[in-house]
Amino acid sequence: MNENISFLIDFIREAFRGGRIFYSWMSLLTLIVLLGIFSYSRQLQEGLIVSGMSDQVSWGVYIANFTFLVGVAAAAVMLVIPSYIFNDKAIKEVVLLAEGLAVAACIMCMLFVAVDLGRPDRFWHLIPMIGEFNFPHSMLAWDVFVLTGYLFLSLTIPYYILFMRYKGAEAKHNVYFPGVVLSIGWAISIHTVTAFLLSSNVARPFWHTAILGPRFLASAFSAGPAFFLLTLQFVRRYTDYPVSPIIFRRIAIIATAALQINLFLLFAEVFTEFYHQTDHTVSAVYLFFGIGDKTALVPWIWTSLALNVAAVIILSIHPLRERDKLLNLACVMMVVGVWIEKGMGLIVPGFVPTPLGEVFEYSPTLVEVTVSAGIWAAGLMIYTLLAKAAIGIELGNVRLHSSSVPVS
Amino acid sequence: MARYVMVVDLEKCTGCQTCVVACKMWNGLGPGIQRVTVVEKEEGEYPNVRRAYIPKRCMNCKDPQCTKVCPTGATKRDDEKSVVTVDKDKCMGCRYCMMACPYNARTFYKHEQWYHEEPSAWEKKRYKEHTEGVVDKCDFCISRIDSGLKKALTPGVDPDATPMCVLSCIADALHFGDIDDPESNVSKIIEARGGFRLLPEMETDPSIYYLPKRTGNEADKS
Repeated sequence: MNENISFLIDFIREAFRGGRIFYSWMSLLTLIVLLGIFSYSRQLQEGLIVSGMSDQVSWGVYIANFTFLVGVAAAAVMLVIPSYIFNDKAIKEVVLLAEGLAVAACIMCMLFVAVDLGRPDRFWHLIPMIGEFNFPHSMLAWDVFVLTGYLFLSLTIPYYILFMRYKGAEAKHNVYFPGVVLSIGWAISIHTVTAFLLSSNVARPFWHTAILGPRFLASAFSAGPAFFLLTLQFVRRYTDYPVSPIIFRRIAIIATAALQINLFLLFAEVFTEFYHQTDHTVSAVYLFFGIGDKTALVPWIWTSLALNVAAVIILSIHPLRERDKLLNLACVMMVVGVWIEKGMGLIVPGFVPTPLGEVFEYSPTLVEVTVSAGIWAAGLMIYTLLAKAAIGIELGNVRLHSSSVPVS
Repeated sequence: MARYVMVVDLEKCTGCQTCVVACKMWNGLGPGIQRVTVVEKEEGEYPNVRRAYIPKRCMNCKDPQCTKVCPTGATKRDDEKSVVTVDKDKCMGCRYCMMACPYNARTFYKHEQWYHEEPSAWEKKRYKEHTEGVVDKCDFCISRIDSGLKKALTPGVDPDATPMCVLSCIADALHFGDIDDPESNVSKIIEARGGFRLLPEMETDPSIYYLPKRTGNEADKS
């Protein structure tokens, strides 16, 4: 037990130790988090009336970020599979960082759900075993269940591996491997359940399609690894941790293949919607072309498509992908493109027009934007701290008995 | 067990919004929250244009989507009185039900506010039943039905056991009663004039019947 406590103390100490760049970065994030808290306090005081959501468009940018981030959380599995199942030595070097990103993404997801509630004081209803669940009927109840489980797995497996390394021992394969296998299935499930949460609704034809689940996975496995790759560039630049070029190549190939599949699925969806238009196509028409003068989402979705297509072109051509700068650019485009496509471009048109044909548009208010930014900053902060401490332990800088903390 | 339904006569509705106001008064609803809306639509092409009014409220479906998706079980169907209710103490305001409802019939109480600086005694009393941050909707004035049934009154016939909007309608366009009773007012009206329900393909078995305009297309052609 004492070893665990000294591990945690050393872990936190390592997480918060750093130079000028580290503290500037953390200060910037803290500032954004504080801004988010300030905005959220206004929302708490005045209610969701400070948001742009209405009775017609009852979910907005909060849930849009939620769906995107569930994907980022699930995407860690694309590194877990090669490293633990196929024993890919290169990927194994960074898999713990990917799991750290999954933890941060899970926490961001939960925060986004929490800030979307009208009565956040009743959030405890969603805590398994304590709250009252409409289980197994409600997909939201399932979502909370799988997200909590995934967070638990993403915390415990790296904890065990890092703890063993901290003690200078070898992590036992038999101990963590069952957890790894479980977490692979679990990662797929968190994103499938989120897709089912939307696609199970017959009232919203835009989402009521069996392809939504596969689309969610494909977009997650492109944007997630791309985001992770970008963070690895910072790790390579600002830490002593050796990130070999082969890792970037592998992750880029994973993201490329997933993005190709994602674009194909999107094309399949668009073709089916538009080949012969019915009443159910109206939401897609609104998204891509607008209805009358209501065109709020049109620039967004075309920007997203342009970014994704440009990214897939760069990534599919080997000589272009091999260039670091172009690879980074493609990853940024992919992350932003997918963020729009399955965020605002997916959640909002589901509500427009209403079943009776009324067109009400939605755009987020400043409060919603700053609260969202605050949650993103909090997530990046968590990821930075977890990654920093994990790197310190992996490099062997932090070891049991070597620290100044007395172990009794 | 009764199956209470509402009948909306589109022929008679003038779009005056009295039902909206009566509902707001009876339930003490502040600004921004509305259980009944009258959707206005333009029909036809010039010169045969006219305006259609479709009063819309919760359909109190027999097989609703909203009760399935609610994560806490706050929204439930009361099979005894055949209405769907929201438990204001359990709802956490996630609005999943609003997304699932094919009729867009639910409303979200975003912010406690009043038409005057202070709520009236009546508004204060009713506010407890639909507090800020939760989802709200029409429940066919279940409290009126309840108290009426206790006095052995017949919902839809005796005013004290009838939803407030039905009582207030200036054109007699709204009717309420038990459709399982073949002798009830609503059964007779539906038998005589037919009637349709919105989005039957959703298989939600809604409890509101609309009577089409009698003149219908013939009027447009002439």
